[in-house]
Amino acid sequence: RIMPVRWSRYSPSYLEPEVKKESYQKSFEELTEEEREEMELKAVRPIKAAPPTLSSSVFSDPMICKFTNMMMKSGNKVLARNLMSQTLEAIKRKQVEKYHKAPENEKETIECNPYVIFHQALNNCQPIIGISNITRGGKTYQVPVPLTDNRKRFLAMKWLITECRDNKHRRMLMPEKLSQELLLAFNNEGPVIRRKHVLHKMAEANRAYAHFRWW
Amino acid sequence: MAAPAYPAWVTRWVSGQWRNKKRPPTLRPPRTLALADKVANRREQPTEATCITEMSVMMACWKQNDFSDTPCAKEIKAFYDCVAKAETARKNQNEDTLSSRGNLPSSKVNKLLRRFPQITRYV
Repeated sequence: RIMPVRWSRYSPSYLEPEVKKESYQKSFEELTEEEREEMELKAVRPIKAAPPTLSSSVFSDPMICKFTNMMMKSGNKVLARNLMSQTLEAIKRKQVEKYHKAPENEKETIECNPYVIFHQALNNCQPIIGISNITRGGKTYQVPVPLTDNRKRFLAMKWLITECRDNKHRRMLMPEKLSQELLLAFNNEGPVIRRKHVLHKMAEANRAYAHFRWW
Repeated sequence: MAAPAYPAWVTRWVSGQWRNKKRPPTLRPPRTLALADKVANRREQPTEATCITEMSVMMACWKQNDFSDTPCAKEIKAFYDCVAKAETARKNQNEDTLSSRGNLPSSKVNKLLRRFPQITRYV
């Protein structure tokens, strides 16, 4: 696992901390050759301090952490985390209400797990192809370009957050609006999905310029 | 009598230009007649864009199905596979071997020539 960090104060000999409990429960014989070498290396080298966001619990989810970090304003992680947990609670409440009101045959189709809803909504919001500005002969063209996974996830999360911050009722709070948007995205409706479709339409309209790419 | 074909030197001698002590053209090269240690900078042609066919197939599918992702899942998967392959090929290509068109860029050629310069004098 490589942590891309610009100016790390650690010397290169420091190793990353291992957080997963399963790796410590394996007995010595089950390990492969590489894992034994790694263990011997870890006995000798110093280890970096574990950051507070790194957790070994089963309930921690890297996507949720990334989303909370993006929602955070001026370092107020406490507020962002509370908002996130309230959002997940709101999603669960809405889905459970729907579940109890639905007739018997539809009860299996309703998804109640907010984490599943969050992941599926994010997947539905991710654009498949992006647009980049390329200058040729003085004119800038919008060229359709494939995106990396990180960029797709970032765009999906960014669209969700800006959508929730801008287009809402004056007194509506963030958890409620976010839960609304996530449920709409889960069903492939809503303004974020529409924004994704607009991007795809622009890419499709400019597909003649695809040859301007050089990578 | 047909026009007699004399060799060229005869015509030139007979014309009398050499009697006025016309010197043969002296070579005055503007630069030294030796191979330089660098090549001229050549504009590298940009490589072609990858995965265009996959992209156009995917866009045709989108046009038919109103830009929804579920009916086009196969085309999208093909596009992603193509993109991943192109990415790995780009990372693995070694810059010091010849490019796909069989040319080395001028910077690489200059680096090589600097390692083995032309010997201008013996010491």
